[in-house]
Amino acid sequence: MPHLEVKEDDFFLDVRNIACYRAQNGQKISLYAYPGADPASVKLFLHGSVLGAILHQQKMLPLHGSSFIYKGKGIILCGVSGAGKSSVTAAFCQQGGRFLTDDITPVCESGKGVKIVPLKTRLKLWDNSVRQLKIENQALERIRPMLDKFYLPNFESELTEQRLDQIVILNTHNKESFEHTELSGVEKYNALRLQIYRKNFLKGMPETSKRYFGQLLRLASHVKVSQIARPQICNICETMEFIQREVLK
Amino acid sequence: MNSNIVWLVSYPKSGNTWFRIFLSNYLQNSSIPVTLENIESTKISNNAVDFEDWIGLNPFELTPDEVDLYRPDYYRILSASADEQEPILYKKVHDAYTLNRNGVPLFPEAISKGAVYFVRNPLDVCVSYANHSASNVNKTVNFILNEKACLAGKRNGQLRQILLSWKNHIRSWCEQTRIPIHVVRYEDMKQRPIESFGSIVRFLGLEFAEERLERAILYSDFNLLQQMEQEKGFNEKMQMCKSFFWKGVIGNYRDYLSKDQIERIVEYNYDTMKQWGYIDDQGELTV
Repeated sequence: MPHLEVKEDDFFLDVRNIACYRAQNGQKISLYAYPGADPASVKLFLHGSVLGAILHQQKMLPLHGSSFIYKGKGIILCGVSGAGKSSVTAAFCQQGGRFLTDDITPVCESGKGVKIVPLKTRLKLWDNSVRQLKIENQALERIRPMLDKFYLPNFESELTEQRLDQIVILNTHNKESFEHTELSGVEKYNALRLQIYRKNFLKGMPETSKRYFGQLLRLASHVKVSQIARPQICNICETMEFIQREVLK
Repeated sequence: MNSNIVWLVSYPKSGNTWFRIFLSNYLQNSSIPVTLENIESTKISNNAVDFEDWIGLNPFELTPDEVDLYRPDYYRILSASADEQEPILYKKVHDAYTLNRNGVPLFPEAISKGAVYFVRNPLDVCVSYANHSASNVNKTVNFILNEKACLAGKRNGQLRQILLSWKNHIRSWCEQTRIPIHVVRYEDMKQRPIESFGSIVRFLGLEFAEERLERAILYSDFNLLQQMEQEKGFNEKMQMCKSFFWKGVIGNYRDYLSKDQIERIVEYNYDTMKQWGYIDDQGELTV
């Protein structure tokens, strides 16, 4: 039996030895936890891929990104796992940013603009990022018992919808320098499409995929999109400062 | 189910990428050399982003052993995703041939068309790998003798790959019987390219054309690759490494390894080095 099955309104995921999850009609989630599965792991995948599936069923256009408000602007940092979305978001929040959502950020149209829908998720950081950001780690909760990745107690956060102004797509490259490109036209649309959270789920959801086409076009017309390539090895605060200097100027 | 994946297997720094460039040139049969970005379609089978896309789980929120439970499924999905434009998928592999915690091989037999294994003198591998990972040579000597050696699988980039030691890496692939395998020596690819590359083309069942073969060999010449990397960079190079295409010569180890380091590698790998012609019948190093 395949571990993953996706239809328009019915989603099934088997995370082996942890739990089986089923999400239906954007409203109902049922889960079966395997005997001996630890609750933190069951919760982690529920708040990740399964939440993503529910948001797709609700046509909420979830982006693979962490979001915050900084100097009055609504910002989503997008990128693949390991690009540095959460740690750079944490760095911004240490500089007065107001935290919205980690890892999955749904966006919706509202009047003439686009809004970020905050989810009550917590930032997750690896131990080396916790150390780099000088965050006290003694009382932090592990995301899974066997991983050195921790939930951060929430920074000052917003729980209401916020206007989205800027999307920053974080990539890494093997150069020593940072690079910034502001995207436009088809390039902008294509780059945004790649930021959809669990975009391969859409192969089983043709109606949703079709609907997202229009949503993405409108998103592209309302929001600035920048692409940042950072060195594979670099400091979190350097990345934050580069974004402050080059993108949010 | 289609047997449509060819695994391009090697211990790191043994000519795998070089062959991928040759293969891209041969398949495209272009009148000009393909660029380094063009080998993207033969990229590593352990790309974490692709795994997350197809499996729907962040591999870094699973343990490496948990990830390995999904890898046979992942490759079956990739196999099923092949289309008419690209009916055969070529995937680079650095893993040893191992089974996951459920006793299932990571590389499923049913979808495998075959495997090409590139073997290189471990003394040269050691020096080249030290340059690639910007590591000191002694560390790399320990690494290639380590039965528990693994690559990646930390927090981004590639999935964990179990390598075992150099000798057990090659043994693991040559002793398995599920996937047809063709072994080629790096040194033969250098010294007898027409014969070596030609043998792979025939093993893969590709249309054989001598003029096309010669051109693809010419277009994957080491000096040309160095020049292309210098001009436009190469995204498979690690940040701390100065250049991916470094020296590519046979016997380079003599300038970098101490007598003691050579002895350690030879002693540990003696039988396997002899089997693949790196030590002769008199027990002397051939290179």
